[in-house]
Amino acid sequence: MKLSRNLALSCEILAAQKLRTLLSVTGIVVGVGAVVLIVSAGRGAEKKILDRIRDMGTNLIVVNAGQTRIIAGRQRQIATVTTLKADDAEAIARQCPSVALAAPAISKKLATRYESENANTNVVGMTPEGFHVRNIAIASGRSFDPEENRAQRRVAILGPTVVENLFDGADPTGLRIRIGRVPFEVVGVTAPKGMDANGVDQDDLIIVPLGTAMRRLFNVTHIQTIYVQARSAELLNTGEKEIRELLRQRHRLRDKPDDFTIQNQATLVDTERETTRSMTFLISSVAGISLVVGGIGILAVMLISVRERTGEIGLRRAVGARRSDIRTQFLLESGLLAAVGGLVGVLGGVGAALAVSMLGYWETVISWPAALIGFAFSVFVGIVFGIYPAIRAAALEPIEALRAE
Amino acid sequence: MIELKTIEKTYGSGDTATPVLKGISFRIQAGEYVALMGASGTGKSTLMNIVGCLDKPTGGQYQLDGADAGTLDDNALSHLRNQKIGFVFQQFHLLERTTALKNVMLPLIYSEPYPEDAEQRAEKALTAVGLNDRMYYRPGELSGGQQQRVAIARALITNPQIILADEPTGNLDSKSGLEILAIFKRLHRDGHTIIIVTHNEEVAEHADRVIVLKDGKIEQDRRVAQPRDAEKEVDERIGREDAE
Ligand SMILES: Nc1ncnc2c1ncn2[C@@H]1O[C@H](COP(=O)(O)OP(=O)(O)O)[C@@H](O)[C@H]1O
Ligand SMILES: [Mg+2]
Repeated sequence: MKLSRNLALSCEILAAQKLRTLLSVTGIVVGVGAVVLIVSAGRGAEKKILDRIRDMGTNLIVVNAGQTRIIAGRQRQIATVTTLKADDAEAIARQCPSVALAAPAISKKLATRYESENANTNVVGMTPEGFHVRNIAIASGRSFDPEENRAQRRVAILGPTVVENLFDGADPTGLRIRIGRVPFEVVGVTAPKGMDANGVDQDDLIIVPLGTAMRRLFNVTHIQTIYVQARSAELLNTGEKEIRELLRQRHRLRDKPDDFTIQNQATLVDTERETTRSMTFLISSVAGISLVVGGIGILAVMLISVRERTGEIGLRRAVGARRSDIRTQFLLESGLLAAVGGLVGVLGGVGAALAVSMLGYWETVISWPAALIGFAFSVFVGIVFGIYPAIRAAALEPIEALRAE
Repeated sequence: MIELKTIEKTYGSGDTATPVLKGISFRIQAGEYVALMGASGTGKSTLMNIVGCLDKPTGGQYQLDGADAGTLDDNALSHLRNQKIGFVFQQFHLLERTTALKNVMLPLIYSEPYPEDAEQRAEKALTAVGLNDRMYYRPGELSGGQQQRVAIARALITNPQIILADEPTGNLDSKSGLEILAIFKRLHRDGHTIIIVTHNEEVAEHADRVIVLKDGKIEQDRRVAQPRDAEKEVDERIGREDAE
């Protein structure tokens, strides 16, 4: 059988029944469109989360005191551990070859006040390197220097949310606030960073020199966290290993378990990516099922078509079509229907994804692989659901088929 | 060319078995023009379908071109229908949703190899039946006579030896019917074997042999001394109309 010729003829015949053709492929269109839209939305979400992880710092490794666990989306220390010291950070910076910088930090929620305005704010004590390692930029005013850190000066840098809460957005530089009972001078404001990967506002914080925080605010000798910058992204895992070895040695752990937890950006990215991917996969699988349901639409229409075109089948047999030719024809027709549906679905899905993104509802990243797979799958579905009608068509006896008209 | 030996056909089985053909034997040589006659329901179409390899007899033997049709499989029979037989039906059996030209090209889709000049051949076939100005019309836009001519062009496209026509003029007025018969006359002159099924005596007069069926048997098998010439009659008719 001359396939291309026959396919062209099939197109003509199917095109002559626009409404029915349209109805038969609606399920496929919706299914494919939904898959493309959902995957694009998922990829958008993934991109957003990854962007936030990157915002946390460049080539970041985070060392936390004690064992931590994710509780309600946030990393929390299970019990207070006092073994992590500022010296550890210095040692890491000096002795680990893969490490560029190490910034010790400690933080706690404290009541803060400006005149009559009160707010409960995350107060972070850290060294000046911390700004660099954690990608925190100063929007106005200044940071503090190592000298102020050593001298335990009472200077504070506010996040934009705090400025909003305590000063109604007015410039706070040079003004005095109280953290707990201790008076501080505001010297700068950080640039806004938005939410972190867990959806926590990163702008709701007050940064003070580490020494000041330890002595004057928290009255402790230990720290909570060391923010480490590896020399390159490739050295993240090596850096993590070096740090673990060094800390175990410094803390004399021998056969005891770690009294700290290390996470690096690369593994964090992997975990997050995996989470969003499996979520996307789950939802798009559901959409994929609707695609299969769309196949039933094709099945129904092809069965009607075989009934209605019995005379045509008889005629084709009379002029020389073999059973296999008839079977192939109907398979191709249902494949063709599904392909048209798939194509429309892809265009619709991409269009919807672009629209959602442009209207600002949700950031989407068009997934062409999903579009391709959705299209291929719809053709597959069309052919699978076309098998039964095609077999019925081919099974018709030529003479019975001719007489049917 | 065509040889039937005690062909039988019984529809159904057991209590409902209805024998339609009860031992039909005849031979038709290449180039003959045969009319198959009989009252309605005597099994003319049934016989024709067996001759055209669309249906199988329940008894007897049928040889086409020296090959026993009973031993051929479905694919071989399809090939045979494509290459050796052209069908013309009472109800035309055209694809409604495409043009006359594509209808005529249909059998070529099933020819191996597909001819490069398929379209030109279809145009030629349509021109031969006087439809050179109707190639891109759909069946619905053509008169009955024109539709039947499209069907004849389709039957001729693979240049088969045998043309089988089942009541080809049954749905046509006498003028269109005569035009169709004129085409058959010309095809006969060109060497085609033509078998035409009819219950109409006048139509049968155009053939040079008439086989009459009755009660599932051959009642009569006779030569026609002086077959009518449809081509000439059409010319005369046109002459008459011009004169009026
Ligand atoms: N598929 C069939 N099943 C049962 N009976 C049939 C079938 N086809 C034809 N017949 C019967 O066979 C007889 C001959 O039919 P047919 O060959 O069409 O006659 P004709 O063409 O001479 O009018 C009729 O009585 C018809 O009812
Ligand atoms: Mg009949």
